[in-house]
Amino acid sequence: MIRNPETFRERFRIDVRTGHEVVAIDPAGHRVLARRLADGLERWEPFDQLLIATGAVPYVPDLAGAGARGIFGVNTLQQGVEIRRFIEEERPQRGVIVGGGYIGLEMAEALIRQGLGVTLVDRQPQVMGTLDPDMGALVAEALRGIGVTIHLGEPLVGFETTGGRVTGVVTGERTLPADLVVLGMGVRPNSRLAREAGIPLGEKESIRVNGRMETEVAGVWAAGDCAESFHLVSRRPFYVALGTVANKHGRVAGINISGGNALFGGVVGTAITKVCDLEVARSGLHEKELAGLGIDYATARIESRTHAGYYPGVGPITVKLLAEKGSGRLLGGQIVGTQGAGKRIDIVAVSLHAGLTVAQVSDLDLAYAPPFSPVWDPVAIAARETTKLV
Amino acid sequence: MAGERLVIVGGDAAGMSAASQVRRRRPDLEIVAFERTPFTSYSN
Repeated sequence: MIRNPETFRERFRIDVRTGHEVVAIDPAGHRVLARRLADGLERWEPFDQLLIATGAVPYVPDLAGAGARGIFGVNTLQQGVEIRRFIEEERPQRGVIVGGGYIGLEMAEALIRQGLGVTLVDRQPQVMGTLDPDMGALVAEALRGIGVTIHLGEPLVGFETTGGRVTGVVTGERTLPADLVVLGMGVRPNSRLAREAGIPLGEKESIRVNGRMETEVAGVWAAGDCAESFHLVSRRPFYVALGTVANKHGRVAGINISGGNALFGGVVGTAITKVCDLEVARSGLHEKELAGLGIDYATARIESRTHAGYYPGVGPITVKLLAEKGSGRLLGGQIVGTQGAGKRIDIVAVSLHAGLTVAQVSDLDLAYAPPFSPVWDPVAIAARETTKLV
Repeated sequence: MAGERLVIVGGDAAGMSAASQVRRRRPDLEIVAFERTPFTSYSN
């Protein structure tokens, strides 16, 4: 939901100055240097308390031609508006998406719907790197099903341009003709201002904060995609750029700035998306993360149905769970399936928050009636299968 | 603490969520948010 700056100003007496960029923070002097973009006028603005909520910036490769017309990141509403305008005004025919993550998938579907021919490239051997390869393969299949051409294991090498416009994307294997390129190569925290001001950074250069969203500099707070989180399954600092987390960060920071006392408990890495009819969701740690942490795990993947088999609209669902060897503690889960599949990840998310074992998950009293689920919920079935292996 | 001033750098989800909380709890506080783009964002 977007509220315009006038609403904030008039109804909430929040002095929102759009078109203003803060270019420096002086924590000791309790002031920031703000530049009005329209005319470049710079002015020091004093503060008693400062909240840094500078978000994330899309990763843009340091390659010749990366600034050419027709190449877009899509991280802000403004960038989305710019892509739409470009499509309407320039009528591009061939879209190339670099990166097969959430942004890449959603943009692939959006561009297909706009009538473009779409090719997706990723340097990894799979799409959706936050899923395990076997689950990512289900997503790739669905993308191909809506007409997306996919080239995996091909790094971005360069761009071809003519007169400042993009004409092609060069991978390690080929050159793909392109009139429109969307970069979905991930984001990094926009923490430059904080770093330059001497405010300590943490995981992936996000701004280090405690559970109250305080930085290590008194009177300076950070929240959202620029700030660090804590992963409740790995018990380690974690960086995630998601609106849900940003809202919670902001809420906690706001309460504490007001003199209250709130704590941001942490995340379990839950995320969900959709490619046409396919819902894709994950929570917790996946195999690559577990291997990196040296955690010994068992995993089971099951196929079931979203509703009772005879109920209209029933479709396939694949659930994969991972649990710690020995203890049986649930470590993560991934779900791919048709309507009704994706939000089942919340069972996994809550179980991770609660520290349940897969045996406990298989015994949960979950809702059943034919329009909603088979008698045994697919997540419970996967938990039972995983229990046999821990 | 009359006259206290909160400055927020960034007017998207985190910045405006915080701003709304602060306004609700501290009617007296001056809140200034700087946003580079023409948009603010807020969801609840």
